[in-house]
Amino acid sequence: MMQRHLAYVVFACLLIATLGFAEWRGWSFSRPTEVKNVPRSVRDNPGSYRPAYLYHGSGRYLRGK
Amino acid sequence: MVAPQVKGLNCPNCGAAIQLRSGELAQTVACSSCAAVLDAKDPNLRVLQQFQGKVRTKPLIPLGTRGKLKGEPYEVIGFQRRKIRVDDVDYFWSEYLLWNPYKGFRYLTEYDGHWNDIVVTKRVPEVKGGKQPTIVYLGETFKHFQTATAETTFVLGEFPWEVRLGDTAVTRDFVSPPHVLSEETTDHETTWSLGTYVSPQYVWEAFQLPDKPPAPRGVYANQPDPSAGSAGELGRLFLIFAALVIALLVVRQITARRDMVFRQQYVVSSRNADSTAFVTPIFTLAGRTSNVRLTIDTNLSNNWAYFNLALINEQTGTAYDFGREVSYYYGSDSDGSWTEGSTVDRSTIPSVPSGRYYLRVQPELGTDNPTPLVFGLLVQRDVPSVAFFGAVLALLAIPPILALFRHGAFEQMRWRESDYAPSSDDE
Repeated sequence: MMQRHLAYVVFACLLIATLGFAEWRGWSFSRPTEVKNVPRSVRDNPGSYRPAYLYHGSGRYLRGK
Repeated sequence: MVAPQVKGLNCPNCGAAIQLRSGELAQTVACSSCAAVLDAKDPNLRVLQQFQGKVRTKPLIPLGTRGKLKGEPYEVIGFQRRKIRVDDVDYFWSEYLLWNPYKGFRYLTEYDGHWNDIVVTKRVPEVKGGKQPTIVYLGETFKHFQTATAETTFVLGEFPWEVRLGDTAVTRDFVSPPHVLSEETTDHETTWSLGTYVSPQYVWEAFQLPDKPPAPRGVYANQPDPSAGSAGELGRLFLIFAALVIALLVVRQITARRDMVFRQQYVVSSRNADSTAFVTPIFTLAGRTSNVRLTIDTNLSNNWAYFNLALINEQTGTAYDFGREVSYYYGSDSDGSWTEGSTVDRSTIPSVPSGRYYLRVQPELGTDNPTPLVFGLLVQRDVPSVAFFGAVLALLAIPPILALFRHGAFEQMRWRESDYAPSSDDE
């Protein structure tokens, strides 16, 4: 049975190996924006920092049923 | 092969040479030159029927060709073309009569490139009635496929029965791939035969025929599905791998560190986002590169909040920017009470190297409720994720599901040509 479906067996083994590695390294489907060289002054003046991700507006949630 | 005894005669209709290979067993013989049907029992080969048709069919296996089937030598001595009419459409097929002086007769049939090796059965199968009659024969269950009236339209060579153009017989086919049980009923007799689907290459090799055989078209009644069993086997393999994935999930759940590296509660009452930004104390993310789970636990009540967040490495200046929206509403209306959203939000930052980090937090508070926002931040290191395991299970399931669909499509094509085609139910 394994011989007859070798391609599927290889596919499954690769998939499970990738899963194990992904869990080991802590991969995730979503990824935040990575910014390099953030100045140390952010700790003294947090309000001066501007997020790098594209976020505009208030983030107002459209509530209710 | 043992050389058969051949009797040489001439056609009284056209004078062409005629050979009788089955000797005394031949009842009728059709001249291969003028296609007249002659009485093989008559010393003068009395003409029984003149060929009036316009279309003469050339057999794919010429008469007199010798070959080996099932390890036994056979010679092609007869050929007939037959048809059935379904919904005013004629469907033609060819039958080749094979002869071995020691083994007797057997047949090869060909329809649209599909071949069957056929022998007459020794036992009469018993048909069980029902919406779709069945037969259990030699431990195999055959399902009724089609009933039709077959008509002989062309004959060549000799036959051990009195064949005529225009002969009709009611045929009933029962299938259990690769086998087919066929019943033929005339006014005088009923015969049963068992056919086995064989590949065109098998026939070509058996008779050492030149060129390539015509490619089969469509799916034949008793054609075995080449992928039959694949769906079941892939399904069993899927279960094995799924068990492995679940075992891996259990191991991961047990071995994940879930280190609590930071926890703090905050209160925000200002609606001015520019003045609410703050940074947390520095905390250490230790160990190998792994994920970081941030849990925001709020006191939101019919309100929303948006958190601009950045996890910043104090040593390298690398920041992971992201935003989270948290909202929780509830109430009641004519349908009863309802809730929407949650007061708790969880997010995961993937593959964060070890180091000293802090969070830069800028909450933005909704205006639907004047209550100050109280929220807790919890940072954990190396938290297992179920999502990847679910995704892997879904990907592993695709090949077995595709195999199942392929098998279903093959069977649908097979039964589309039967008396049990889906459209027949409405008629």
